[in-house]
Order: sequence, then structure tokens, then C-alpha cells
Amino acid sequence: MTLHHYLILAAVLFCVGLMGAFTRRNAIVVLFSVEIMLNAANLNFIAFWRYSENPALLHGPLFTLFAIAVAAAEVAVGLALVIAVYRHFKTVDLESMDTLREE
Amino acid sequence: MSEQIAFWMLSAIAVLGALVAVRKRNLIHGVFALMIFFAALSGLFLLLLAEFIAAVQILVYIGAVGILLLFAIMLTERVTGDDGRRMTSRGWFWGLVVAAAVFVILLLPAIQELPPPEAAQAIDPSVKELGHKLMNPYVVTLEVLALLLTAALIGAVTAAQGVRIPKEEDSSE
Repeated sequence: MTLHHYLILAAVLFCVGLMGAFTRRNAIVVLFSVEIMLNAANLNFIAFWRYSENPALLHGPLFTLFAIAVAAAEVAVGLALVIAVYRHFKTVDLESMDTLREE
Repeated sequence: MSEQIAFWMLSAIAVLGALVAVRKRNLIHGVFALMIFFAALSGLFLLLLAEFIAAVQILVYIGAVGILLLFAIMLTERVTGDDGRRMTSRGWFWGLVVAAAVFVILLLPAIQELPPPEAAQAIDPSVKELGHKLMNPYVVTLEVLALLLTAALIGAVTAAQGVRIPKEEDSSE
């Protein structure tokens, strides 16, 4: 296994997430997709660390740890916002949330 | 050899899980596919000799994020989603095009065939060393992260609680 295998896999996963974020209407599915993209980035961090010149510095796992913590905070706030929006609009459909759109 | 088999199996599971999670109409099934994706990624971290990150991945993503997503889905409408409404947004075609373009751009460095760097034969990524690193050079980051998590917790509770608009007393007059 070379570094390229992991980088290509991460690129595929990132683009699957991007596709979901761009093409789905449900706000929760868009959150899923963002999670998939974040995980692909974490895979890149770990792969670069594994194939780096000095892995004993542990830069990859430390950065990934911080990224996971920030992602967890992001999911919590994002879902709270989705629930708040659902309470207001009675839907999680992103296309019906167009209050700010100019008519 | 066994590493290659593990890599290909785990990547196939990860890509399929991500695709199902993104395309499934039933959101509950989607969350379970997402959990399978997280588990496969944890296996890939193990393959890259990052045991602690693999454990954290299972604990945080499958344990916390997955359950949180399930709760959010059950608290909102359309769990099964088979009510005949459109699943994709307007302009989904351009979303696909942009995703494919980003994919090609991400793959450009791999096409250039740079000599792949060698993997270190043995790494000693002990959890003890990680803890020392967190306590000595990265302690400020750790504290800021703790602050961020607290702020996110308070913010999430406040946002989910909703703003209570005090009732106007006009009707009683």
C-alpha cells in the first residue's frame, strides 16, 4: 500500500460527501455529507503522518484528534440549529427555507 | 498481502457506506450506513497504525454522532421519506458536475506519478506519548478546545430550546 492509495480513497470519499451536500434537500443528510467530508480529511492527515519522515512527532494523530473534537462540536450545534429551524418552518427541507430570497 | 486485502475490503465498505448514506431515501437506513462508513474508516486508521485515533473514531462518531443524528431524525418529520416528494434539490446536476470536477482536481497530484514516499517500518505511537504531547507543547490547544466544546454545548442547548417570545398582553385588553 502506498500513500497514493490512501489519498485516492480520501478523494473518492470527499467527493461522495460533496455530491451529497450539493444534491440532497434534507438538512440532516447535508450534515451527514459534511461528516463524510471531514472524515476523508482526517484519513488524509493520518496517511500523510504514516508516510512522513518523522512519524514519532505524532503531528497527524494530534491534529486528527483536534479535528474530531471540532467536528463533534459542529455536529451538536448543527443538529440543534436543524431542530430550531424545524420548529420554526415545520420542515427540514432546505428548499423551503427561502425567507431571505428576493422575490 | 493481508494488508492489501484489508485495505481493499475496508475501502470498498467505506465507499459503499458513504454512497448509501448519501443516496438512501430512508434516513434511518442512511444513518446506519453512515455508522458502517465510520467503522470502516476506523479500520483504515488501524491499518495506518493509529490505534488511538481508531478508538476515538468509534467512540465519538459511532457512539455519539450517530446516536445524535438518529435523535435529530426522529425529532423531525419524514423518517422514512417515501412520500413521493423529490429527494434531490434543484440544480442537482450542477452539484454532480462540481463534485466530479473537484474529484479530478484532487486526483491531479496522483496522476503526476511522483515517487511515493516510503512508509516508516515501525512506529511507536503509544498513547502515553500522545498524552505527553497533549500536556506539554499542545496544552493551550487542549484548553482552547475544552472551551470550544463548552461553548458548543451551551450554544446547542440554547439553539435547540428555541427563543421564547413573551406573549403580548394585547388580547386581554
